[in-house]
Amino acid sequence: MTAVASSSRKGSGGLFRFRASIPQSATLLAAVTGAAAFLGGWQLLVSLHVVAPVFLPTPLKVAQTFIRMCTDGSMLPNTVVSVRRVWLAFLLSALLAVPLGILMSGYRIIGATLEPMIDFIRYLPVPALVPLAIIWFGVGESTKIFLLWLGTFFQLVLMIAADMKRIPNEYFETAYTLGARPRETLLPVALPAMLPQLMDSMRISLGWCWTYVIIAEIVASDSGLGFVIWTARRFMKTDQVMAGVIMIGLIGLVTDQCLRLLHRKLFRYQ
Amino acid sequence: MEQISPYLQFRNVTKFFGDVPVVQEPFNLSIPAGQFTVFLGPSGCGKTTLMRMIGGLDTPTSGEILLQGRPVGEPDIRRGMVFQSYSSFPWLTVRKNIEFGMRFRKDLSFGQKKDRAEHFLKLVGLGDFATSYPSRISGGMRQRVAIARTLAADPDVLLMDEPFGALDANLREDLQFELRKIQKNSGKTTIFVTHDVEEAVFLADRIIVFGSRPAHVIADIDVTSLIGAERNETVRDSERFFHLRTEILHRLRGRQVKAVAA
Repeated sequence: MTAVASSSRKGSGGLFRFRASIPQSATLLAAVTGAAAFLGGWQLLVSLHVVAPVFLPTPLKVAQTFIRMCTDGSMLPNTVVSVRRVWLAFLLSALLAVPLGILMSGYRIIGATLEPMIDFIRYLPVPALVPLAIIWFGVGESTKIFLLWLGTFFQLVLMIAADMKRIPNEYFETAYTLGARPRETLLPVALPAMLPQLMDSMRISLGWCWTYVIIAEIVASDSGLGFVIWTARRFMKTDQVMAGVIMIGLIGLVTDQCLRLLHRKLFRYQ
Repeated sequence: MEQISPYLQFRNVTKFFGDVPVVQEPFNLSIPAGQFTVFLGPSGCGKTTLMRMIGGLDTPTSGEILLQGRPVGEPDIRRGMVFQSYSSFPWLTVRKNIEFGMRFRKDLSFGQKKDRAEHFLKLVGLGDFATSYPSRISGGMRQRVAIARTLAADPDVLLMDEPFGALDANLREDLQFELRKIQKNSGKTTIFVTHDVEEAVFLADRIIVFGSRPAHVIADIDVTSLIGAERNETVRDSERFFHLRTEILHRLRGRQVKAVAA
């Protein structure tokens, strides 16, 4: 009776039961189906002349352009330039944000001094600061790094401070009653306790770096993926614009997956 | 003990968090060396705050706490604490957790620390789990890790804040038995906070029973003179154990009823 009842329920709502888990095969199939439907719909839009190919090239055409650009040297050097800018700015942000965030959370007075200011600055839109950056740094490499740093540092500092704040007090108090002085807990207690969260915060801010690098390269650059996209637009090469965007998406995806994998490997104890 | 001054002493201690009184009436208590003292009382009665003040994790608003005649100050290695939750460090293996207890001891060599860690690892029966992470072992084992780590630091006073509060009943009884044994063997002066009457009776040489906040003492019970120093499952099932437990329960209830009526 119960077996019948449960199997019939599976048969009727099946994959559409509210908040219920679905089999792994279904997860994969759903992802593939979704992507195929998207590409198919896209192809159809062009084939049925709903949209002109000059505005929306077919998926196949974009793929061909992507591969051609990867082999003819118009994409990869610019990709390297963008990746380098992103990582340089990101590391600069992280290097400053981690200690400052920890200090802000560890010492209330430092937090109280800096937080309102940082809260203000982090809401300043990066594009609005481009003119200022150009006045200060010209149109060289330092302008882009500065803009990226500006866009991520202030966000990251607050996230790190919050990560530190979330550490249970018990960890610190345990260490105190084992003879640690407060600042002696920073390396052996605070850092490992917050590290998983901290890595997540950094991963998120790395994503923002990609947003800002494109803005910086569109506005003030003669290299990088943003430049590739912007140049292609001027000649209405929609397929090249899309190939450039796809490259950014791919890099983001690969970086994110690598960092997630690293996260799992490092924090196996969780 | 032929000590003139008590080992650990509360002298006219009061505690307010802002305007909120936790300990309003000056609190006085003397605890001799080696005693297993349980602070028993309902949640939020201030018993934990009183214990935290021994550890230096909170400071009295007035009055003082003396350890061997000297006022206790900031937390240090002489007063070790075991918490109910987040008691062991999840990023360290069981062995590393125990070694952490000696991290800030400068009197021990590297080799001595290793040996001591091994000793306490065995003492709490976790030899086979030395390389496991806390997330891979049971809640009871995690509490053993915390106890071993604190013992490895060799404090004068062992402070325990409902360390078995989150464990299921069977496990709790096992750990109570082991803790009582360890405490008697080590002779460490121990303050144990709980709201569980049976746990209190089983563990304690002496129970201080608190009424609801602000903290006040309902009873100061010499458990050893009532049920003896030996504690095991037979004692737990005995009539005198049951009687004492019931009597304390009644006192707690009576007091609470009165408080509500007033």
